[in-house]
Amino acid sequence: MDFALIVLIELLRAVAGLVLIAAGLAIIFGMMRVINIAHGEFLMLGGYTVVLTTKLGVNLWVAILVLAPLFVGVFGVIVERCIIQFLYNRLLDSILATWGLSLLIIGAVTVVFGNTVEGVATPLGGFAIGDYKMASYTLVLIFAAALILAAIFAGLKYTRFGLIARSTMQNPGMAEALGVNSKLVYMATFGIGAALTGLAGGLLAPIAGVVPSMGVYFIGQAFITVVTGGSAIVAGTLSASTMLGTLSQSVTFMSGPVFGDAALLLVALILLRLLPQGITGRIFSRSL
Amino acid sequence: MSPAPEPILATSSLTMRFGGVVAVDNVDFSMSQGELRCLIGPNGAGKSTFFKCLTGQLRPSSGSILFDGDEIGGRQTHEIVARGIGIKTQVPNLFEGLSAYENINLAASRRNPADAAARVADDMLELMQIAEIAASTVGTLAHGQRQLVELAMVLAGQPRLVLLDEPAAGMAGEERARLASVVRSLAGDNTLIVVEHDMDFIKDIASTVTVFHRGRIFIEGHVEEIMAHSEVQEIYLGKETNAAA
Amino acid sequence: MAALGYWRGVALVAAIFLAILLFVPAWFDLFEVLQMTQYIVLAIYALSLAYIWGFGGIVSFGQAGFFGLGGYAFAVISINMGETTVPFLLTIALCFSFAAVLGYFMFYGRLSDVYLGVVTLVVTLIMWKLINHTAGPEYAIGKARLGGFNGIPSIPIMRVPFTDREMDPGEMFQYFMGLLIFVYLGLHVLIRSKFGRIAISIRENEVRTSLLGYDIRRYKLMVFSIGGALGGASGAMWATYQTFIDPNSFSLEMSAKCLIWVMAGGVGTLIGPIVGVVALQYLSLKLGETAFINNLVILGIILVLLVLLMPRGIVPTLHDWLRKGLALVRQPSREGAQ
Repeated sequence: MDFALIVLIELLRAVAGLVLIAAGLAIIFGMMRVINIAHGEFLMLGGYTVVLTTKLGVNLWVAILVLAPLFVGVFGVIVERCIIQFLYNRLLDSILATWGLSLLIIGAVTVVFGNTVEGVATPLGGFAIGDYKMASYTLVLIFAAALILAAIFAGLKYTRFGLIARSTMQNPGMAEALGVNSKLVYMATFGIGAALTGLAGGLLAPIAGVVPSMGVYFIGQAFITVVTGGSAIVAGTLSASTMLGTLSQSVTFMSGPVFGDAALLLVALILLRLLPQGITGRIFSRSL
Repeated sequence: MSPAPEPILATSSLTMRFGGVVAVDNVDFSMSQGELRCLIGPNGAGKSTFFKCLTGQLRPSSGSILFDGDEIGGRQTHEIVARGIGIKTQVPNLFEGLSAYENINLAASRRNPADAAARVADDMLELMQIAEIAASTVGTLAHGQRQLVELAMVLAGQPRLVLLDEPAAGMAGEERARLASVVRSLAGDNTLIVVEHDMDFIKDIASTVTVFHRGRIFIEGHVEEIMAHSEVQEIYLGKETNAAA
Repeated sequence: MAALGYWRGVALVAAIFLAILLFVPAWFDLFEVLQMTQYIVLAIYALSLAYIWGFGGIVSFGQAGFFGLGGYAFAVISINMGETTVPFLLTIALCFSFAAVLGYFMFYGRLSDVYLGVVTLVVTLIMWKLINHTAGPEYAIGKARLGGFNGIPSIPIMRVPFTDREMDPGEMFQYFMGLLIFVYLGLHVLIRSKFGRIAISIRENEVRTSLLGYDIRRYKLMVFSIGGALGGASGAMWATYQTFIDPNSFSLEMSAKCLIWVMAGGVGTLIGPIVGVVALQYLSLKLGETAFINNLVILGIILVLLVLLMPRGIVPTLHDWLRKGLALVRQPSREGAQ
């Protein structure tokens, strides 16, 4: 019984992990049709924000929940203004440019902070279920992932900005005609996606080693999740994360983390062979 | 009239559903070798969906499509083309960077070795009366000329059945008249299906017409009969043609 | 006429390559010959992408997957067999097959271009992760230990084909240069063949090509597999050149470099990417000597600038400028003639 509970929590943790690392990417891809290869580096910058500010004595929770998203969000807006805005509707070019950005960020962070693993202690300690011990922070991650998905859904569905953003993405010309400043919407959307990624990076900092190249460990999973999920941001991220997370965690239980990753890819490939548009169907599907 | 020969194309109970919408509803359609047939109908009547089922762009929900006795329903477009159906899409689909001649030659060379392909391409240029633009880059040509080049490409594949989706769209005056005369001259040797909006064009090519309405075949007949048919005028032609007639 | 001019250009390039093959080992010192051997290997790697991107319209973000797979496969097979000729051929066949299987899922799944790029990228990432985790002694294939992040040392040096004699650096340079010439000419023949022209048609207009009755999935699969085989061959050459291979050969950086070379040289040419390799490798060698600039920073800046300023590549852009310049100079005389 205890073991079953542990397994359940572990599975939820895997799903939550995928949701966290994929959510920002899903927003930027789902809303703007831009694939941000530098996504992993946005995560890394979130992690570094937490490491550096806590070293300066900032409270860990403030660093994770406020500073990491704030810094990466602002950084995202700058990136959008300097690079992305010239590349809308040039999908391939936007991929290549963000790839260049990714290399640039890794290189620059390495020069400034060195190629060493930084970390912050995992807060909150642990709790026991029967004979098994579990870090309380795991529950924070699961809770945060759920909250983020709910917030994205509510933000898109019930807020004025969500409505404006959705309409702009579907028909920028029409939205302009209705008095929407589409430039501003694109910028804000990219910024929000980046901020969420920063938040995810901050949340992961206590459990992952923060290094300049840490992004590489996450982007594979993030891309698979987003591509498999299809264009619907919330439904796609949730369904893909649940399926792939459960699966890779199960394989991990049985044969170690490396094969978990490989299984993730294999299933995603087969799934895409069957559903080329991802789980949530066609690109212009209306679901969120 | 002699008894109708074996149909070259026949659909039976062809149905295409999108969710709850039945776009093509149990259509039995057939035509024989050498025929020129127009498909008409108001927007949403199902003619485009029907056409896409024939070309392999859509997989029919049920029913069959027999081409020369072989089932082609649900096959890939390239397989359907390889069996001898030539397809011209509504939006001209050309290799913009190549010359008209190169475009046609490319189309001819699937079935033919290089020298024969060149001969076929020359024939097509002559047939379409577009020899003077043979060397022009297709991307620089006027819309009407591009339509003719694309038609030449379709014919260069030496198809046994030609499907044309709105070939006269965006054409006017002399160009359209030329296209009509080309299509007329093709009939007999070739078998053609033309999806078209433009009633004047259909009158020009003087063909048999199949009218689609609400996913079904409403009526078939010669263009003059159809145009005189009061219900057809009601559902499709509307007041505009009443006034013109 | 146009065809004649085309082949004249190709023949000229091949002649220059042949001259390099013949004279470089005698005229340059060992270090420079080794340096140039490296450029040749990377040039073949760049050609693997230049071909599938420029002449098949397939943008692979994971070409390093084939490069790394080729390197590791060659290492494992040659260490086990103790020679190099058959392992080299087996490696190429293996990479061709791997690309074919991967391509089957992508092309027959009708993934759109971008998804395809992402899938190739992710496949490479997973391979990189997998190979990084093979440090333990239990991960061995025959006599070859995979070595995880430490890589595989002591890979056999390329032998003179069908003999037991190891090539000296000059011979290896000539052998590899010969392979480059073979690949360069072979790709040109392929591009001008019927198969090649259909592949180009697919790049230009997929719908039209399928309306002509061609199965575009099959052609793309073939093009992609040929690219995979070439990428694998270059990886094997890299492994025997260095007598060492490690997971970095699978890295994103390695994939990115390939894209950068091809973009810089211009998509749709074969000579451009070769020039791109030499120019950019030389540049990063020189800039790398100044210790405070990180190689990744340079690569990143080049890639961003290429996309923003010269999306068609340096060679075509310069070519355009040159032609416009010449047109300006010639303009008066032409008007006079009319």
